[in-house]
Parts: sequence; structure tokens; C-alpha cells
Amino acid sequence: MANEIDFDEILSKYRSDPFDYVEVCATHTGIVRFRVGEGDAVEAPSGEWQQIPGTVLYQITRERNPKLVAARTNGVVSEIRSELEGQFVEAGEKLMIIRHPLKKKEIIENILKEVLYLFRAPERAKYYFALDVQSRIEKKGAKAVTIEAGEEVLTMSLMKRDTPIYYTGEGGVIHSVYFTPGVSVNQGDPLLGICAPEKLPLIQKIIIRVKADWDSEQGFSA
Amino acid sequence: MVTTMEAWESGRGGIDVTAAEVSRQRHIEDRSRRQAWAAAEVESILRYGAFVGSAIECHPVLDRAMERARMHIAAMEQAGRSVYNGTVILADRLHRSKGRFDRTWHAPAGGLWGCLLHVNTLLPQSRNLISLAVGVACCEAVREVGIAAELRWVNDVLVEGRKVAGFLIESFFSPRYREEYNLIGFGINVNNRQFPHELLDTALSLTEVLGRPLDISAFARLFLAKLSFALGLLYYEEERGLHDGDGWGEDGHRLLRCWRELSTTVGRRVIFGFDVMKVPQYEATVSGISGSGGLVMVLDDGCEKTEYSGEIRYI
Repeated sequence: MANEIDFDEILSKYRSDPFDYVEVCATHTGIVRFRVGEGDAVEAPSGEWQQIPGTVLYQITRERNPKLVAARTNGVVSEIRSELEGQFVEAGEKLMIIRHPLKKKEIIENILKEVLYLFRAPERAKYYFALDVQSRIEKKGAKAVTIEAGEEVLTMSLMKRDTPIYYTGEGGVIHSVYFTPGVSVNQGDPLLGICAPEKLPLIQKIIIRVKADWDSEQGFSA
Repeated sequence: MVTTMEAWESGRGGIDVTAAEVSRQRHIEDRSRRQAWAAAEVESILRYGAFVGSAIECHPVLDRAMERARMHIAAMEQAGRSVYNGTVILADRLHRSKGRFDRTWHAPAGGLWGCLLHVNTLLPQSRNLISLAVGVACCEAVREVGIAAELRWVNDVLVEGRKVAGFLIESFFSPRYREEYNLIGFGINVNNRQFPHELLDTALSLTEVLGRPLDISAFARLFLAKLSFALGLLYYEEERGLHDGDGWGEDGHRLLRCWRELSTTVGRRVIFGFDVMKVPQYEATVSGISGSGGLVMVLDDGCEKTEYSGEIRYI
């Protein structure tokens, strides 16, 4: 967790390049057939329940079982490894990069992620707060709730099997909650952003500064 | 003095099941399964599932069977002893039983209430099917006593549209060695006939359907033998999947086949929610069950969505 932050440097970075570059990797082994090309615009899943799939990026076939893989984020295909077309790839092989335009909220979150300790999802599943933590949050609000390493903080629910999730990072207050109960979280995505209580002013400063820059310059991106 | 009603409510007295009896029931299960499955497969599956009921505790009353399981694991570790994988804790009554989230579970005398301790030695893709396996075992046991039961995703066992059983599966990491257990809690309405007001329209017991009480210990043995097969099948299919490559081929996972044969969920109009009682989310029509047990639904806009966690109610 960074103690100091060079606002000018970070903000200038986002001003000049207000994008995230999202790597798309093979979900599993198989033969790849691309469904998009470089420069193509792609859409993220949409609909009230995220039921409308994103743009199909590629098809991967394993043991005569073809699977279409759709974009999880919107943007433009900025790089594609077209030499892999029709080739067998290993799981995790990088296939393309999507350039995703950042919104103000995402820029703030990205900067905060550099100063918060991120507690990430161990598996793709749905998560909810452990009863004790939930009741403390309801009484005092998340930012007033401190959690410590080893504390049962969340419950992971998958196929009606509930697994207690014990916090493993530095102790601190729950500054950011990145999950919504009832909505699946992908493995490795952040669930919570935790910070030491003494760092709360720094966090607040980041939010105010980015908002001020955004408002005065009418945003970083389209 | 035990009244007629109390005797009725509790069937033939308190539950009394031993590991040896469950083992004998497994032999009966073995013979019965061979009518539809290859003998070598049945033998292998039941050998894998033989851990179920390796030790059995019967209590007249407990607060919660899951809590007792956690205490048992902790006490065994503290004493430097190993926990028997497959230990079953049964109680005639539970005082503080609970369902998922903050739901209460009514567990008076007459029901089959308990918890199975399973040392988690399954691969993640098999572990995700434990919930389905427990539902299959219970549904098969209920059918075997002559009741037309069906499964509603994930593992609700329904008779005449009302729920006769509920399951709660929680992971637990032992305090000293951090070994991971699956605590498989089960509650089956066998001879209990009285339900809290809020459950009157949705719960049902087997004795109400049959019009007579069941021998609860015999039913417990039957359920545990079925559970031996269903959990053994997870291991057997895991071995088959690893042997044949990465998956189960066109036949699919056989536990899912068993589940589909017992279920009426596919094709039904449902309302889905993570906690469907409190926060129903959307309506859809179930189009299938995915290869990993997920519920595949078609929403009203024609889009397909697969859920791996949550609950449904039929509309």
C-alpha cells in the first residue's frame, strides 16, 4: 500500500491515455478462431441481469466442443494475435487486447486500487458478508468497520455450498466494496478494498482531486 | 408418559443407526444398483462412497448438528486424533437449527436431522456437484419408500410441490491443521407433522403423504446408503474424467444424468434469485442444466443466462 502518491503524475497519465488495456486470454486449451479483427469495437454484457452477452471475440474448440467467448468489457480491439488463427493454444495464452475507455468513476477506482489493499475473489462465485460483519456494517457503515487478518469476513456461495472466506491482508477499514450480493464475481477480481484508518484522509484527497480535475477539465475521455 | 400423538410424531422412538447397519444397507444398494449399472462400476462407486457413515453419533437433542460437527473436529485435533471421514451426526431434535442466510429451520422430533463430515478430497469441478449429489440421494430414498418425489434445482426435494427436505453445505477449515471439510447438513421431514405457520403451505413430511409413520432409523440407513452411492459417483466420475482426458465426453457426468432423471426443473417457468425469498430477481424458463450443474435459463428477451448460485421457485 503506497504511502504517498504523486497526483500530478498519475492524473497526467490518465489525461494523456484515459484507457485500460484489457488482455483477453484463452479460457482453456483448444483451437482458436477469431470473430473480431483489429480496430473492431466490442460491447460488454448488458441488460438488467447482464443477460445480453458481449460481442463474441473468438471461438475455442476442445474435443469437438466449440465454445464462443464474449467480451466482458467494451472498447476497441487494439491488438490481436492473428498468427494464432486456427492454431491450438494453451489455457491462458494471450489472444488480444481491448482498449477500454475509462469513466471518471473507473479512474478514481484505478487510482484507489494503487493505495488500497485489494482482497480478491478466490473463485468465480457469489459473495456476501459474513453475518457478524454485515451486522456491523448495517450499524456503523462499511467505512467504520475494521477487519483483521484471519477474520471470517465473507461467505462464498457456489452451487448452494457456502464457504467462509477469511481475510488475509493487512488489517484496516473496509473502504471499497466491489461486489454486489447475488452477482457473480470472477476469480481474481477484487471483492474489498481495505485501507489502514490513518490512510483514509489520503484516499479522500484522491477522490476530491480527481473529481475536481474532472469537473474543471470536463473529463479525461469521451 | 408418551402420548399416541408423540409416538406418532417421533415414529418408532429415537433414531438409532450404526456404521455396521449402514454398511449392510450398502450391500442392499449394491444388489439393487446392479439392475441398471454394470456390476464393476457399482462396486467401484460404492467403494469410493464407503466413507459415508464410517462413524455415527446419535443424540436425543442438539443445538445444531453442524456446530456439533465443528466441535467434534476441533476436539479430535486437540486430542491429537484423526477425524473419521464420513462421520455422521444425527439428532432426534435440534433446538437452534438454521437454514441458509438467516433462515430458521424447524427440527422437532420425528425428522431426520444431521450432518455428514466429509474431508474435502474432491477436485473443484466435482466439489461443486456435492449439492446435487445430496439431492439425488434424498430424492432416491424418498422414491424408494413409495413417494413420487422430484428435484428442483439445486437440491430441493419436492413432493406434491412442497418441500420435504433441505440441505445446507458449508466448508469448514479445522482450527489446528486447516484441513478443509464439507459439512453436509440435512433435514428431512419424515414423521414430523407440525410446521411453523409460515411453512404450512410449502413444507410436507413423508408420513403425511404415506398416511403412516416410517421407521426413521431404517430411512436414515437408506438415505446414507444412497448418499454413499451419490458421493462415490463423484469420485468415480472424477477418476473417469481424468482417465479419459479433460472431461466426461459426450455422455456427460453421470451424477448429472441421475439428477436430470429425478428433476422436473427443465422446461419450467421459474423466478430466480440469490435469496429468492427475500430478493426475487427475474423470471425465466429453464432450458437445461449445464455440464457443471449450472441452471441454464432463457429470459423473456430470448437471452440465455446460466446461474451457478441461487435458488428458484416454480411459477
